[in-house]
Amino acid sequence: MLDLFHAEPTGDSARVLIVLEEKALEFHGHYVDVLAFEQYRPPLVELAPGAEIPVLIRDGVASTGASAVCELLEEAFPERPLMPTGARERWCVRVWQKHVDDLVASAVTELAWQAYGKRSLPPPARAELEASLERIVPAEERPRWLAALAGYGEEQLARAHARVEETVVKVEAALAGSEWLAGPMFSLADVAVFAYFNYLPALGSARLSESEAPRALAWLRAIAERPAVRTALARGRAADPFTTATPAPEQIRWG
Amino acid sequence: MAVELYFFQPLGTNSGRVFLALLEKGVPFLERELDGLAFAHLRPEYLAINPRGQVPTLVHDGRALTEGAPICEYIDEAFGGPPLRPAALDERWNMRRWCRYLDVDLGRALMMIHWNRIVPAFVGARSREEVQSIIARVPDLDRRRAWRRAYLQETTPEELAESRRRIEAGSKRIEQALARTPWLAGRTFSLADIDLLSFYAFLAKWSPESVNARATPRTMDWIGRMEERPAVCELRVRSRVPPRPPILERAAAAARG
Repeated sequence: MLDLFHAEPTGDSARVLIVLEEKALEFHGHYVDVLAFEQYRPPLVELAPGAEIPVLIRDGVASTGASAVCELLEEAFPERPLMPTGARERWCVRVWQKHVDDLVASAVTELAWQAYGKRSLPPPARAELEASLERIVPAEERPRWLAALAGYGEEQLARAHARVEETVVKVEAALAGSEWLAGPMFSLADVAVFAYFNYLPALGSARLSESEAPRALAWLRAIAERPAVRTALARGRAADPFTTATPAPEQIRWG
Repeated sequence: MAVELYFFQPLGTNSGRVFLALLEKGVPFLERELDGLAFAHLRPEYLAINPRGQVPTLVHDGRALTEGAPICEYIDEAFGGPPLRPAALDERWNMRRWCRYLDVDLGRALMMIHWNRIVPAFVGARSREEVQSIIARVPDLDRRRAWRRAYLQETTPEELAESRRRIEAGSKRIEQALARTPWLAGRTFSLADIDLLSFYAFLAKWSPESVNARATPRTMDWIGRMEERPAVCELRVRSRVPPRPPILERAAAAARG
């Protein structure tokens, strides 16, 4: 039996939802309203004390961390594989996943929060959230919320843009050599990058254009049209989840 | 086919774990030692195989592999020898979570403190202009920023205090895990233990009050078991410097009885 606690189907929540759907696995989905602090309340606070979303429950055991959860699903349900068989190709998938975890997740989410944060959190909800922050959010998590509520600084957003553009170039280069990021098969690498990159056409990226990154754009459209991806992205509450945002995960603190 | 490992001497955290994974697996390899003090990792010939200018790089069958954690899983999948990842899927998930936590949370807290202490001396007698021109050549923007901040001593007391808090919390978290199971990720020795070994010298160096027989007895027992492993002994011999920190000497002596 599988249960998944997930937020709007973007980013890490989208990654695990897409993997479940691509593998045609039956699961119970539970929507978590991150901006209502549901990740800090029961039952999640007991299941996943780190307040990380999404949370997979497999045979009663909770697992977090999108990359590790995706690999767990791959190993537990090897049918309809999303990992290549060769060691070098598998290494390549893991390097992409790490790049997303280390850099892309925080960069894209910061830009998305800057663009959609106000809409995702209208003034009454924002006032309520600010009032309950100290009561509900663990002390070590508060700086992340306060930074998002204050709005990210120019230097941080410039860094986020630089990381995004650098990754667009990497994606375009990878797709010059193979149909998918890690070789001839659609893999967890494509899922990980897509789950964040699907924000970019609307957010705006200088390099993600028909002239500079035609392959990356075609790749993005091809993934968005996959039936499993469409089903996964329809599991949110918003008509278009990629116009919603939550505060960004912490950047790596020391380069 | 030939296996080559590019790494720093003395063995740092990222080089150390790949070095140890190869030794545990029994894979023969050629040592390609880079002189970090001479910034050999920023020379064009190294950037050609590792564009981020970071260590380690594993070259297997003439093709380069980068990034510590993915290299370690590659070593387990591409070569024979004893498995370095648990067979049980939950333990395997736990191993990956530990590897990531050690890398990006506890590891970076240690790295921030370590760099801020050593970088001003590390650059030696070079002029400020020379150091800044070297730093400008660091390809990765976050790594470049870390170099600059450590050199100019720009890290704030609050940031350093937060790193110390994470080191203390991490030491407790490790102790709790080792109180539940003999190895970090569960019942079997894994890449999580390999990663932790490379961090331990730094934990003991920068936070001796967090790691000692009274505060972390399970961890001391784990250090003793690790230091008895033939691959770890081999790593100590091959890495030459730095000498084993006193805490590891004591743990090893206790393990020998």
